[in-house]
Amino acid sequence: MDFDWDEEQRSFRAEVRTFLDANLPDNWEELAHGPGSAAQTTFSKQFCGALAEAGLLVPHWPSEWGGRDADPWTSFILAEEMWAAGEPRGGQYMNVNWIGPTLMRFGTQEQQARYIPPMARGETLWCQGFSEPEAGSDLASLRTRADRHGDGYRINGQKIWTSYAGAADTCFLLARTAQGKGGISIFLLPMDTPGITVRQIPSIIGEGDIHEVFFDDVEVPEGARLGEEGQAWDIVRLSLSLERVGIPRFALASRMLHRAVDVLKKAGRFDAGAIQQSAKAHAACEATRLYSYNIIDQRCQGQPPGPEASAARFATVNAERLVAEFVVEHVPEALAGGDALLLAHHQRAIVAGIASGAAEIQLNLIATELLQLPREPR
Amino acid sequence: MDFTLTSDQAALTGAIDRMATQFESIPTEFDGFVLEGRELEQELENGQYFDIAAIPEMGPIAAALAVERLARLPCAVEVALSMLVRPQLDIELPRPFALVEAGRPGRFVASARTLLIVADDSIGIAHPSPDDVEAVESLYAYPMGKVTGALSIRALPAEDAARVRTWLRVACAAEIAGLLQAAIDVTVEHLSVRKQFGRPLGSFQALRHRMAECAVLAGGVRRLALKAAWTGDAGDAALAALHAQESATRVIYDVHQMFGAMGMTLEMSLHLWTYRMKALLSELGGRGAQAAAVAQYCFDNKPARID
Repeated sequence: MDFDWDEEQRSFRAEVRTFLDANLPDNWEELAHGPGSAAQTTFSKQFCGALAEAGLLVPHWPSEWGGRDADPWTSFILAEEMWAAGEPRGGQYMNVNWIGPTLMRFGTQEQQARYIPPMARGETLWCQGFSEPEAGSDLASLRTRADRHGDGYRINGQKIWTSYAGAADTCFLLARTAQGKGGISIFLLPMDTPGITVRQIPSIIGEGDIHEVFFDDVEVPEGARLGEEGQAWDIVRLSLSLERVGIPRFALASRMLHRAVDVLKKAGRFDAGAIQQSAKAHAACEATRLYSYNIIDQRCQGQPPGPEASAARFATVNAERLVAEFVVEHVPEALAGGDALLLAHHQRAIVAGIASGAAEIQLNLIATELLQLPREPR
Repeated sequence: MDFTLTSDQAALTGAIDRMATQFESIPTEFDGFVLEGRELEQELENGQYFDIAAIPEMGPIAAALAVERLARLPCAVEVALSMLVRPQLDIELPRPFALVEAGRPGRFVASARTLLIVADDSIGIAHPSPDDVEAVESLYAYPMGKVTGALSIRALPAEDAARVRTWLRVACAAEIAGLLQAAIDVTVEHLSVRKQFGRPLGSFQALRHRMAECAVLAGGVRRLALKAAWTGDAGDAALAALHAQESATRVIYDVHQMFGAMGMTLEMSLHLWTYRMKALLSELGGRGAQAAAVAQYCFDNKPARID
């Protein structure tokens, strides 16, 4: 066992920090408010372009797709530093973490050639067309249909709570081509295809984050389908296991916790109650950090994703909650015109237990797969 | 960053695991609070397992793994302080070790050959004669004892006292990690077998979710304890001990709820782990003191960045 970083890892982290110091503008923390806002989307495109030029956007990708063939630690260190900074990549983190790697594994040559290079250059934003009004946690009950039509498909239906849809170029869409869980297929759909309507839903997360997306007789060629018909469930399960520990939320939570403690110390308000709560939150953040490192270590050794990824995800939910509760009780001004990044963090913290699958679904997985408890009857 | 054990560490933990397996069972006639493990203690002595932290190829991380594994056994043996704290002292001191805080009864005090006397910031060492200590009946599933005589106490220099306090925290966290795991294991078994309303209790989502949350907490405690054993850092030790005492507080309650009335009987083994954890909840000042240590070591002039 070794809990230290090696020289290469330290040097990579330093490289990322140097880049952030040089490329984040003075008003970055104000910009970070609203991860899907027009201002942050514009900035993120420019920032990701610069990251790509510095070889820091997709270092863990294969060199044939613009990466450095780096190991999973490299991508995780990069993700830690980006998330701790307030995620200046905006929604492009999804391309880097799982959409790009999913296309590399399951895409046709044509799909790869069309979509991967713009991701590697930091030029494109995707959205994830999964949830529907009647299909949230029960994703397999989704109703959006892709019916055979001529040489391709005609898509009708509705998605909801879709992040970044207002600014996205392409949608990674789940639609039904047959009944049942095995009847769901994936479509790579340009968002300017006729028949797509996007409506923003005001949200507590910030400007431009959540949307409804309507599909009315949207016609797509057969070549827009990723993988075989009905293969969506297998592909998405693998992709989301990358996503589940792909966001090191503990990195920003921990940084914001330290910042809130500094605020209290300077104001002479770091009293016994604040000490107790902040220390508890810090321990939860550090436990989560180690859970996540454990998963990355397993990934480096070529082990398939196991139930520990769900445990890591739930540990994250705990940590985010404890930091958010600490801030709102002891630094309440953060939510009322105080520190911009503390505010942005609080807005995003609520997402931890909800996005990419409700935390309760993870608890079910932990109970069944890690603890081996008997399943619930269906 | 590498979570794989070296071949030496793997061999050692394998040996400890095999030894522990022989002591998994609880005598059928047992219905008490404390199950002592003299035979196990003798085997650990004979195999010089109490000294593994000092072996360069093993280190404190191997000792922490051993403490965690042995804490999962139903019998209570003074392992944690001997394996993790004793090697941090420059001089050879006889074991068993025990901690005495503010004159209160403590675990293993009646049989200890070395006492660590904790008072405020200072730590002293004493070697009691049998007349200086006596056993105390208690609910805690450890043999408890208290000091009755006037001890000759040698105060540790401040630097040594700070180091000992750090390793006491590591020992506490590593032991709680094992106790949590054992309590969860025995509860999962109960929930898988015990049926109500025609189906196993463990198939009810209300209980599944609570157990899953307990498992996440226990996994966090184990990881923090191992990291603290690896770094020996005062902040890491404080975080591990705090998370351990926090998590134990929650898990003790939950697993007793899961067992219902059956868990109240001494015929069931649950109390062997939960009431041992209860003894550890107040050690080293409890959560308040661990939180103060986190504030001291982790929030003072330390950036929130990883180095």
